[in-house]
Amino acid sequence: MRNFHFLFAAWMAVWAVFFVYELSVASRVSQLRDEIERLKQQLREG
Amino acid sequence: MKTRAPITILVAAVMFFAGYAALFIAPDERTMHEIQRIFYFHLGSWTAMFAALTVAFVANVAWLLTRQPRWDWLGVSAVEVGVVACTSGLITGVLWGKPAWGIWWTWDARLTTCFILWLLYVSYLILRGLIEEPQRRATLSAVFGIFAFLDAPLVYASNRLWRTQHPAPVIFGGPNSGLDPTMVKVLLFCMTATLALMLVILVDRYRLEQMRHELDELRVAAETRSASPGPALTAATRN
Amino acid sequence: MSTARAAAILLAKELRLEFRTRELLNATIVFALVVVVLFSFSFDPTSAESRRLGPGLLWIAFLFAGSLMLHPSFGREQANQTLDALRMAPISPFALLLGKMLANFLFLSAAELILVPVFAVLYNVSLSGVVGRLAIVLALGTAGLCITGTVFSAIAAHARMRELLLPLLLLPILAPLLIAAVEATASLFAERPALDRTWLAFLGGFDIVFLTASWLLSDFLLEE
Repeated sequence: MRNFHFLFAAWMAVWAVFFVYELSVASRVSQLRDEIERLKQQLREG
Repeated sequence: MKTRAPITILVAAVMFFAGYAALFIAPDERTMHEIQRIFYFHLGSWTAMFAALTVAFVANVAWLLTRQPRWDWLGVSAVEVGVVACTSGLITGVLWGKPAWGIWWTWDARLTTCFILWLLYVSYLILRGLIEEPQRRATLSAVFGIFAFLDAPLVYASNRLWRTQHPAPVIFGGPNSGLDPTMVKVLLFCMTATLALMLVILVDRYRLEQMRHELDELRVAAETRSASPGPALTAATRN
Repeated sequence: MSTARAAAILLAKELRLEFRTRELLNATIVFALVVVVLFSFSFDPTSAESRRLGPGLLWIAFLFAGSLMLHPSFGREQANQTLDALRMAPISPFALLLGKMLANFLFLSAAELILVPVFAVLYNVSLSGVVGRLAIVLALGTAGLCITGTVFSAIAAHARMRELLLPLLLLPILAPLLIAAVEATASLFAERPALDRTWLAFLGGFDIVFLTASWLLSDFLLEE
């Protein structure tokens, strides 16, 4: 199979680009979720 | 959100199957053989980008008309996702170009258009980063976003008019000129798959903006609470 | 007060302001000349090459000089906080924008008036017979540059790093204009000069689209 490396690289690149972005978004979302919970707790106690 | 996990799994499965289809089900192409299969991911990226940027345009207009924060959130989310899709389109384009034409890059109409669009919308994101006041940031970036969206077809048209007059590497006679029916099916499937993936990511990114807003409001509430003397303060000192 | 009248008064103000010091005009012309000269160092073009690369160089010089010149359009207002006064005046926001667009157009055109002959001399390009048609192309291209540039100057005025931001915002948007202007100019510098109608129509279309967009969005651009 000629040029298979490029095809594979392209497939991986597409995955990587979307996946890495999604990961960064998801991790920020969970960070924020914790922060929000913490603040809500603080407000409830205060 | 309870429906979240099943949807993600479904989209992942669809993408996986789309990859399989592109790699193994689609028939072999005459001149470029297997490297041509990048075409399915390449067009998929472009579809996702186009959809995302259209959503961004609608959101920009909606913000200016209604001033509801959620349109601003949608606007920035859609642009970011659009830039990601565009990046994917550019990378697949480059990786297709090298084996197919022997060169990493060429200034043909489509690649140039994609690159300029990438620059345009990255500028949008940079602009947002440089304006602090939220209302003004939303309004000015919405105006810029509308200009960018109006420019996009002009960029494409001008590049088309221009580059096709120069000798350029031919992309197997245009994607819609007599494509094998199986290819068409695989193409549509891949486009749908990338679109679905884009939507999932968009929803997540929107949620991020929404939560940022919620966090800001909570912070303000917490500060005003601690600023005023009373039970809150005594409770803290007791602890 | 009608939009046209308000724009005219504002245009007069801008012109008066600029001709008091002429600093902007001078700087713009010199900067464009620097670009033109540097190009000759970097590329050392022969006469045939000059004919081929000339139009591109010319328009890049205008684009760079223009985007630097456009920044003070709203930057000056911001610095002196005169924008609030203008906003309170009984004029439509579009009149304000239009006045500035016209002023910028005149400034840049004045710079071009000097630059084009200099360019023709430096690169041995013959301008005989094409001056009128070249003027049309220059006018349409400059108009597009000033329309978008003024709008983005208003946007960048509220942001940090505005000197860098304005070219960053402007140049990608102007890519189609650049292509059209260069191609139209190139067909005028060719062996048999001809006015390319396609590109001319494209330039006109670009100007109309962005002028209309500016008109529709002017309220939002200049709000508090």
